[in-house]
Amino acid sequence: MPRGQKTSSLFVCAATFILLEVAALALLHATSTLQDIWITRTSHRVMAFLWGSGETVRSQFQLDRLNRDLQAENARLQERLRAYERRDADQAELARMAEREAASYRYTPATVVKMSRNRTRNYIILNKGSEDGIRPQSGIISDRGVVGIVEAVDRHYSYGLTLMNPEMSVGARLGRTDVVAPLSWDGRGTGRAILRDLPPHYELTPGDTVRTSGYSTIFPPGLPIGVTGSARLVDGSTLQVEVSLFQDFAALRYVTVVENLERTEILSLEEKTEDAR
Amino acid sequence: MKLSAIKYILLFLAQVAVWNYFNFTQYLWLVYLPALILCLPLEYGTVRAMVVAFLSGLAADFLVTGQLGMTSLALVPVALMRQSVVRLAFGSELFARGEDLSFHRQGWQKFLLCIVILTSIYLIIHIWVDGAGMYSLAFCAIKFGISLLVSSAVSMAIAYLMLERTGERWR
Repeated sequence: MPRGQKTSSLFVCAATFILLEVAALALLHATSTLQDIWITRTSHRVMAFLWGSGETVRSQFQLDRLNRDLQAENARLQERLRAYERRDADQAELARMAEREAASYRYTPATVVKMSRNRTRNYIILNKGSEDGIRPQSGIISDRGVVGIVEAVDRHYSYGLTLMNPEMSVGARLGRTDVVAPLSWDGRGTGRAILRDLPPHYELTPGDTVRTSGYSTIFPPGLPIGVTGSARLVDGSTLQVEVSLFQDFAALRYVTVVENLERTEILSLEEKTEDAR
Repeated sequence: MKLSAIKYILLFLAQVAVWNYFNFTQYLWLVYLPALILCLPLEYGTVRAMVVAFLSGLAADFLVTGQLGMTSLALVPVALMRQSVVRLAFGSELFARGEDLSFHRQGWQKFLLCIVILTSIYLIIHIWVDGAGMYSLAFCAIKFGISLLVSSAVSMAIAYLMLERTGERWR
């Protein structure tokens, strides 16, 4: 038999065999439930094997790219992990600081009994006195910022000076620059104060928030006071900045007296140092 | 109609009767259809033998169990392997001389070899598909062993009946 004829004969044999076997399987699939389930299950297994093998081969060729992707992802995750660790450490430090600060101050709520607003030296009288734990040189604050300082204490009442006193000065810090300067009333409006003695090289932006510096022994740091307005150079050497106060003294009714429990210790240390000089 | 065709049909119907009326044991599947396929004239090519096997299997399934395709599935590979097995057992000269199979000329041992091989092919496929994965390997192996033993013996007699006249021609 010629070679070409033999090949075609083999091909016809194979094709007929496959055709008849497929026909038999199809008939069996259609007429027998048990064999139907078995054929379906076997075909699923074969397909799963083929797909799994194909996927394995494909993944072998992609190992380099997968490794690179994994390395990049690993680096990203490590970076995020370090950021979280830093944040946790910062939060723990802040919590320790807040806890210490809270332990350093005592807060006593009080109601304003009387307050002047149209004098050169304005005062405030509160309904809490020495029996309520109020001490002289305690701060008076409200939810809108600094109000004044307790000057004298009776059994049931306290007398304080409000921020509307030219002699009264509060250490303040400017939001963005973090520079600290004394803040005092300008003696004219009820809602304005002046931030003095600022070094002229600072670039100040109107609208910056002014807060207590925490350098005094009276007010805790970070209490809001007001926002900056226009600035001007005084004597060619210092800047003066107008501050619009958050506190509306006309509507003041309830306040909080804040006492620095470590004030005596700080003052004692200062005195010792002064004496040593 | 040729005598061999009549014999084929009669023995085929006998096989159907055996499957329908004689249930010996679940460990025995008595089959001699592979022997009938083996005894088809050698002038029948593989394709023709496969078609005959397919139609015979289909008819058997239709007349016996109603599970169409079961017997065809096992019998078509027997027809596919038929010429190769004959070449293996009897040599290629048989085809070159255009002879048919003969008990008297080729001897029963070579026939037994052919029948055992072809019956094994049939039984392996049949038991595997019929079990549909429900039976243990041990059960299938025992069923295969017993069925092969009994079926081969019966097939030898069937093959003798099928090739009786052919043998006389060459005597």
